[in-house]
Amino acid sequence: MRRMALTLAIGFATTAAGSWPLAAEPAISFSGEEKATILAHGPWPPSFVPDPSNRVSGMVDAVALGRRLFFDKRLSRDQDRACTTCHDPDRFFADGRDRSVGLARTDRNAIALANLRLARWFGWGGAADSLWMQSLRPILDVRELGATAEMIHTRLAADGDLAARYERLFGSNLASDPPELVLVNCGKALAAFQETIVTGRTPFDAFRDALAAGDAEGIARYPMAAQRGLKIFVGTGRCSVCHHGPNFTNGEFDDIGVPFFAEPGRVDTGRHGGLAELRGSPFNLLGPHNDDPLDAAALPTRHIEPLHRNWGEFRVPSLRNVARTGPYMHNGSLATLRDVIRHYSQVDIERLHGDDGGRVVRPLRLSQEEQADLISFLETLSSPLSTPR
Amino acid sequence: MPTIRGLHARCATPGGGAWGALRGHLARLCGIAAVALPAQLLGAAVACSPPEGFHALSSPDAQIAYRWEPERLEVGRFFAVEVIVCRTAGAREPEGVTVDALMPAHGHGMNYRPTSERLGGDRFRAAGLMLHMPGRWRFTFDILHGGGRTRLSRDVDVQP
Repeated sequence: MRRMALTLAIGFATTAAGSWPLAAEPAISFSGEEKATILAHGPWPPSFVPDPSNRVSGMVDAVALGRRLFFDKRLSRDQDRACTTCHDPDRFFADGRDRSVGLARTDRNAIALANLRLARWFGWGGAADSLWMQSLRPILDVRELGATAEMIHTRLAADGDLAARYERLFGSNLASDPPELVLVNCGKALAAFQETIVTGRTPFDAFRDALAAGDAEGIARYPMAAQRGLKIFVGTGRCSVCHHGPNFTNGEFDDIGVPFFAEPGRVDTGRHGGLAELRGSPFNLLGPHNDDPLDAAALPTRHIEPLHRNWGEFRVPSLRNVARTGPYMHNGSLATLRDVIRHYSQVDIERLHGDDGGRVVRPLRLSQEEQADLISFLETLSSPLSTPR
Repeated sequence: MPTIRGLHARCATPGGGAWGALRGHLARLCGIAAVALPAQLLGAAVACSPPEGFHALSSPDAQIAYRWEPERLEVGRFFAVEVIVCRTAGAREPEGVTVDALMPAHGHGMNYRPTSERLGGDRFRAAGLMLHMPGRWRFTFDILHGGGRTRLSRDVDVQP
């Protein structure tokens, strides 16, 4: 029995740590502050907390309906595209393109759909304040799926099985519900499905937990190059100032000097435009479709302050599975992680619009070895996706 | 778990404005027991004992007590702050209290604008604060009165 337990323990450690060889060299020394920052990147995975603005969040039937809609081409104008066109499950729910192509080429890279239940804002510009609202945007966007609420209402009402599932879940008749409500409810089912897309435990998580427990063997399993990269990440690189917490993002927006011209003469204003869209939308959490009886979910929306520096700011993305979800940046302009690290190493602070004057983002001037170490660390944030329900 | 550590109080009166002479004796005000008196300006050098769970913050011109809700500040989590203005007997009632925060090292503030409400008497509550980065944040508490303001500030290190 004891042998079996030991075998299981070793098997778990090997799986969690990604079969990394034991490091021969001594572990990197982390300061107290660096260690605290590392520990703040976990534990992982977080427990599930239903979205109070979505009354079907976490419900099995909602997840099933949402999964079905996610693959359903009837949500597109010409019934030839679905959510999966740009969020392919075989590509970590991204598409591998620099900019996504729907009915037209868009200005932005498809964000990999994982761990979205932890987000506060959605989309590169934060134009949505809930996952269900975000799920409606590509359906209605004329460059993406280009559908309308009326189209979806008519098509889904003609599907007896789907209409029955809808009625069981939402307690109302799809055919007699107003088209806008049907659209919103589709968004809520889509959100319930997407909430289940979670990245699994990574070699970094095993290291982080070993560090927390003072487990020298567990610490030693983490590759030295990754440890050196991690030290840069939480130390001189200041990466964890924005890529903070268990999901490696503070959930906010920043300008990191990536050009924001979508094409010559046309600017993607990022957070600036996202806020304008959010405020003008009937689907935001200040509107009638928010299911939260305590109205707590709308707190960020109610208090958001438009700022001068929002111009050209884009979402701080999660770094979990970052090595598998390129290209990078809001416009997919950087093809590889090496390009990303080089960008931060050489960033031109004259291009920054932010108020911080380059005090957070400034050129890191990393050596080739340091860049390689940082990439080694980022590669340890990879894991398969898990969809528990 | 992230922790918070108060550093030192920084006090200023950017709005200026005399609050009038202090007269009489101190009284218990809004849950704060006032225990010291001599001052020339209203609110000046008033020593109060903050209620349980509150932190005291004072300048030569004003004193407040405040508490975070929830008590522990965390990066990325919204919170509120309850503020009690320590006022001498007969002094004019403050018109309001506003709270803000910025990161001096980065040159930026919060991404959110807190809203303040009066809970009654000299008690106020500001909600909608969120610190989106770890590091040193400077909180400012502005006591509004007669078109001016008296500012108190405190630096706080918000741990990762």
